[in-house]
Parts: sequence; structure tokens; C-alpha cells
Amino acid sequence: MEQAGFTGVQIGPPVDTFSESGGEKNARLFEVYGYAFLAHKPE
Amino acid sequence: MNRQLPVDPVALRDEVKAKYQEVAVDPHGEFHFHTGRPLAKRLGYDDSIVNPLPDAAVESFAGVGNPFSLQPLSPGERVVDIGSGGGFDVFVAAQQVGPEGRVVGIDMTQEMLDKSRKTAADMGQSNVEFREGLIEEMPVEDGWADVVISNGVINLCPDKELVFDEISRVLKPGGRLQFADIANGATVPEAARSDIDLWTG
Repeated sequence: MEQAGFTGVQIGPPVDTFSESGGEKNARLFEVYGYAFLAHKPE
Repeated sequence: MNRQLPVDPVALRDEVKAKYQEVAVDPHGEFHFHTGRPLAKRLGYDDSIVNPLPDAAVESFAGVGNPFSLQPLSPGERVVDIGSGGGFDVFVAAQQVGPEGRVVGIDMTQEMLDKSRKTAADMGQSNVEFREGLIEEMPVEDGWADVVISNGVINLCPDKELVFDEISRVLKPGGRLQFADIANGATVPEAARSDIDLWTG
């Protein structure tokens, strides 16, 4: 994101998106979580 | 510019299309991810926004987070949702921007576009539109959007640099990108990074 010029990047807390789903095993293996991101394009 | 990518983007795109055709047509089928209203609840969407939506607007939702959790949209804003799928986040955004705002969803899967367009028509939702396109080459004019949103889509694009450049192109100066996506804490081995099946499942 920053390479593309975005600034002020914020990242929210992790969400256990794949818990109790078929993808849980791979998610646990690679420590995969969902996150919210916020960034701004400069004026 | 030709960049070294871990997988063939066209082959990956075909796999993603096939997967999300299934989610559009058979949203209650077996997938490696959660879908629909239970997923929206798990991800912290506000019941007061989700509950009034018809099943068709929610059942094919397959996001990985909540792109509105760090900042809500404001009335009157112009929004682009990249990889809009069945339209769930577009309909949530439409409630936040109100009748003076506008939300454009972009998706490459025809079954998702058919579904989201029909749902919008059935809801009488006049401030939304769904366009066919790729997020690496969006059918949106330069500097049109106040906000770009996305949910669980950018991770499916091997050329992230191209995607973020394209998002920057459609945003106006001072605009913002708010999206949800997955990230891994453990290192993914090279062999796994080039395995298309792992990208989609």
C-alpha cells in the first residue's frame, strides 16, 4: 500500500475468520486471520 | 511492467471464477469458508443493518472481515467495491452513503453480477450499480471515488502492486481505501505460494 503512495495505514484487530470452517486447518497452519485496513491517498 | 508472480494470474482467475460461481448459485453449499448471515454476525456487522436486507443480498456473502469497522462511510460519498460478489457490502455501503451517495460494485463473475443486479432491482436500490471488470483494470474513471472498499479479494490477486496502483487511480486525492483481507503470521513456503489450490482453498 505504501509503495502505491497510501499513507496513514491502520490495521484492525485479527478476526478468526476460518474458525469451525473447512478452511480452519490451513488457516491454523499458516496463522491466517482476517483484518480490516484503512489508508489514505494523499491530497 | 512484467513482474515475477507466484502463480499465473489468468489460471488463478479461472479458479476463483469457478469457486465464486458456486457461491452465487448454491450459497448454502460446502465451502472452506463461512457464508451469509452467520458470517456477517461473526465478522461484527451491525444487526440493524444486516437484518433488514433480503436473503438474496446476504446469502452469497463470503468476506473475511468488516471493511466498515475502522471508519463508517459518510452520506453523499462515492464508493467503489472491488470484487463485489453477491453485493452484500455494496448494499451495506448504500445504506451508509444514503440517496445522495453512489456505490459501484465491480466483479468478474457473471453469476455474481446477475445475482447482485437482480437483488438491487428487487430492492429498488437506485444508488447502486454493478459493472463487469477486473480489479487490475477497473471500469471506473480516474479520481471518481471518495472511498474504495473490498473484502477478501485482494489476497486473490497475485500482483498486489498493480492492484494498489489501480485503486489509487480511481480514488480522488484525499480519498481512502478501507478493506478487509486475510494475512498470515507464519511464513508460507515457496511450494505453497505457487500452489493455486491453496490460493483458493
